[in-house]
Amino acid sequence: MPRDTLADLADEALVVLYANGDPDAARLLARRLLPRVLGYAGRMLGDRAEAEDVAQEAMLRLWKVAPEWRQGEAKVSTWIYRVVVNLCTDRLRARRRHRAEALDDVAEPADGAASVVARMIEADRMAALDLALAALPERQREAVVLRHIEGFSNPEIAEILQIGVEAVESLTARGKRALAVLLSGQRGALGYEDGGL
Amino acid sequence: MMDDLDDLLAGASRALVQPSDALMARVLVDAADLQARPVVVAVVVRRAGWLAGLAALFGGAGSLVGVGSAAVVGLFFGFVQPDGLGAVSDLWAVGSVDQVDLMQQLDVLLAEE
Repeated sequence: MPRDTLADLADEALVVLYANGDPDAARLLARRLLPRVLGYAGRMLGDRAEAEDVAQEAMLRLWKVAPEWRQGEAKVSTWIYRVVVNLCTDRLRARRRHRAEALDDVAEPADGAASVVARMIEADRMAALDLALAALPERQREAVVLRHIEGFSNPEIAEILQIGVEAVESLTARGKRALAVLLSGQRGALGYEDGGL
Repeated sequence: MMDDLDDLLAGASRALVQPSDALMARVLVDAADLQARPVVVAVVVRRAGWLAGLAALFGGAGSLVGVGSAAVVGLFFGFVQPDGLGAVSDLWAVGSVDQVDLMQQLDVLLAEE
């Protein structure tokens, strides 16, 4: 199929074409999905190399599931984000486990947010945002990133995180309030005038 | 406060993370390795012979057999002329048969010299 025609197709149709052996479908899907899942994994993990591994693994699972893909049953974007969320959760858990083993007797900092804010002073706006996001509880971070950065609707986030819509609303609201608190007082560093953030 | 945060989040939303060429290459290698090879179906189209063409002209092989059989039977009765055939034709010709010459001027051409 000509590439111009492929570009107009939805992700779901491209997955079916890929399964049927179309050589251009995979390239187009990777161009569409890879930057998004890489960005999300990067925000969740805070590590580019780990984010690349997760993004590659998520795409690999898409290639594997393609022959059984049924159009109309699920959106490719929500499906792949669910995979990425789970992969990131596994890695974060493993990281916490490893850290707990390594620092068995070391007490947690009394105020983690304060140290995060201190690190923001010299950071640029996006880095400051990423640092603030990293300070959020994992579930809030997932919900805020999916809603306000990746642009998913609450029902889509509910499907990705496999929770109820009300829980999504609660997580995003609490996450956003916590972000505002974490970033308050950093208006100068973030390039905003006094009196707002 | 929230307006500024919304601006910040919107800025993050617009800032796409571009995958490195190496990552894109790895992903596409995975895709190629797992992609089913397109199935090439060889369709052999046999040319129809003259007999098949003739059969098609008569509406299929069945019709051709019927037409052929009728022709053979007609020739058989024409040559053999069995005795009973006259009685059958008499049954069909119920009344007397009159001969009417519609084109008398042609009699000149048909006259034997």
